Amino acid sequence: MAESVKVLPDDIKELIDVHEWDMRTREGVQRFRELKAKSLPSVALDEELVYESLIPMQEELIEEIRRRYKNKNQGV
Amino acid sequence: MGDNKKIQRFVFQTDGVCSPEIHFQIVEGLVKDIRFVGGGCPGNARLVSRLLEGRPLEEVAMYLDGIECRNDTSCPDQLGIAIKAAKEGELHPADSFRIQTDPDIHNRIGFVGEPAGDDQAMEKIVSHMVETGVSTVYCLGNLTGNSHHNRELIGFVRKRNILAVQGARDWQYAQNAEGDLPPLTAKERDWLLRLPQVLEFRLGGRKGITFFGEYIQDFPGFSDYEAFSLEMNMVCGLTNFMQDETVFPALEAMVPQFKADIIVFSQQKKWGHWQVADKEFVSIGPAAQDGELAWGLLESGEGKFEFKTVQI
Repeated sequence: MAESVKVLPDDIKELIDVHEWDMRTREGVQRFRELKAKSLPSVALDEELVYESLIPMQEELIEEIRRRYKNKNQGV
Repeated sequence: MGDNKKIQRFVFQTDGVCSPEIHFQIVEGLVKDIRFVGGGCPGNARLVSRLLEGRPLEEVAMYLDGIECRNDTSCPDQLGIAIKAAKEGELHPADSFRIQTDPDIHNRIGFVGEPAGDDQAMEKIVSHMVETGVSTVYCLGNLTGNSHHNRELIGFVRKRNILAVQGARDWQYAQNAEGDLPPLTAKERDWLLRLPQVLEFRLGGRKGITFFGEYIQDFPGFSDYEAFSLEMNMVCGLTNFMQDETVFPALEAMVPQFKADIIVFSQQKKWGHWQVADKEFVSIGPAAQDGELAWGLLESGEGKFEFKTVQI
């Protein structure tokens, strides 16, 4: 999953901070449970679980990131 | 997790003294939690441990060097040798928890969970298991409980050479932290301390592990990457001992990395059996509950796996 994020265009990467959790670890499991995820791989954006059990197409992921960025920065 | 201090735990096999092992930790250059295990003079040993607790490595040598008791050495002298070896990298840190391997391959294994100091129940269950034709008996913690018969139970388990894994309360007992529970002798505490936390076994052609529960993850230096840590993290942390079935899809994605095919645990004090992908998960309930005695039977034959709870 992290690979799909790593290959995002630079202008998109500048909009986000990426964190990856290792599910083999207690920290990863704790984060997984905090997000109320059920399956792997899972992607959360802004603390919200958005993709589960699937790797989104790059265009879809970019669109979702842009949409959230726009919403958060409206009126700025 | 949370505490980033580097804790290294050491187990030193002694030579020429009564205590067969010395356990200690090195935390940021300080010696901690020294324990002479399995024999020796418990009072003197505890005094040595208290006096040296938290002292720098460089400082402890002057207290330990050159003391003779027997065989030209002594417990303090052996501790000095151990600390020097650890400091110079000749003694490597121990894993945070003990794994014991049963070398035999079994087809019928009997499991007793949470005997909790009930030696009468334990004896009845083991007799029933033997009548039923199990090839071995594994006893899961807690062996000890709020009982005045903990010593008898330990004596029975030792006499019958039953393979046992340590439970959380057994660990507390071993740390002299039994609270209001009936006291044990120093030798019995040492025996509890030296119990494995994980027992590795073979059932037919499949590898299994059995352990008590999540207290192991709080051991100093516990690593998520030790052998069987993944199985423990998934059972204890991800699935809450298989009680949260909503996360089974995630568990299914992780099990290909497991080293074990059968995972048996007992912390929940409930009976249960789950199959996720090609792995078997078994929760062993208590030996005695509501006046009933029960044990768990794992069987293997012709590639099949079967678990059942046997009521007496």
